Amino acid sequence: MDRRTYLGTVGIAGLTSVAGCLDGTIGGGETGNGSSDSGAPNTILEPPEMDLSESSHPSYGDELPSLSLPDPLIDETISTDQFEGERAVLMTFVYTNCPDGMCPALTLRLRRTQEVAAENGFSDDVALLEMTFDPERDTESKLRTFADEQGVDAEADNWHFLRPETYDRAKTIMTEDIGLPFKKTDAPEYDHLEYMFPHYNLILLANKRGIVERAYPNGASIDPSKVIDDVETVVTE
Amino acid sequence: MRRRDVLAGLGSVGVVAGAGVMAVRGPPSLDGNTGTGESQPGDSDETDSTNTEPLTIETIDAPGSEADAFRVPAADRATFLDFFGTWCPPCVEQMPALAEANERIGDEVLFMSVTSESIPNEELADWWEKHDGSWLLGLDPTAELTARYLAGGYPSAVAIDASGTVQWSDSGIKTADELVAGIEQALAAGGQ
Repeated sequence: MDRRTYLGTVGIAGLTSVAGCLDGTIGGGETGNGSSDSGAPNTILEPPEMDLSESSHPSYGDELPSLSLPDPLIDETISTDQFEGERAVLMTFVYTNCPDGMCPALTLRLRRTQEVAAENGFSDDVALLEMTFDPERDTESKLRTFADEQGVDAEADNWHFLRPETYDRAKTIMTEDIGLPFKKTDAPEYDHLEYMFPHYNLILLANKRGIVERAYPNGASIDPSKVIDDVETVVTE
Repeated sequence: MRRRDVLAGLGSVGVVAGAGVMAVRGPPSLDGNTGTGESQPGDSDETDSTNTEPLTIETIDAPGSEADAFRVPAADRATFLDFFGTWCPPCVEQMPALAEANERIGDEVLFMSVTSESIPNEELADWWEKHDGSWLLGLDPTAELTARYLAGGYPSAVAIDASGTVQWSDSGIKTADELVAGIEQALAAGGQ
């Protein structure tokens, strides 16, 4: 479905943020597939407390967007589809130059899930996918460094950095597949940055059928234990 | 959490920043949303965790710190935690404010900086010395403590009273006055 069609269907909204990464939900006019009715048959979790079915990004009951992208650390193409029947998917979108700590905060949710999965024996039931939308700067070595900085076990089988080949491809994925506004901007207030990406702090959780169980639009601030509990429920029920 | 209110009226316009969430109807303009590294509004309520079971945090040998283990949060006094990373430029920028806050009020609380990164202790201690750290330096290798208290991005600060209740937390670069004021909230709350 074409999510762009409903960015713009509803009135102009003001938007303020103090951070280079935006925390929020983007609403739209229609969801297109109407699969977010309560008790969606392909989901394990109950419908979320906050109905996000009108949002422009995938939400409860939607199919996880099908993406095939290189994992530069293992030099293999990873597809979101390959986990169907095997692993739930917890996915987020970052860039390692993120100046205000929001991308590390997103990464923390995935990293804690990795830790608890190892402790509780469900490491093989979840795939942790972190896509950079800044492939021009986020090279393989940069991603490895980022993993160390964030305490991620990037060598584990359940962790994949995904790196689109080009900026344009990253932009297409973010705007069309994920349904979020996306823009490269100047970063005059950061001496060490030539440009940055104000972006939404979205985390997606899909079950082993590839159906979205949760979209966390406040992914950088949501209680990590909430995300972990949801993942554990999805993989163990 | 009152997020549903936010979404109640389709077609309603605007932004509600309650709990670090903004609901947006229509195409948001990204122009001007240039980050400042300052705090996210309202994000501290997300960190008001109900799980107050203390953790054991190891500290390392570094200026003002020695290899030891501490119950965090402390049982007998208030606790101040600074979550940082050596990779984080704003964290470097905040070090003088932390040093001043520690000078002014550090004796009254368990005052500790904590990192969850994967880095050898020697490198961490070198970084600490270079940036004039002079208080306890703790490790959170599983990020459990960080996950419990991080209030948005890095750096992030939290002041916990002696009963284990979070009295103040925020992210972004703070001044010494802001840090001290936050710690004073935890001291004023008592909790013993």
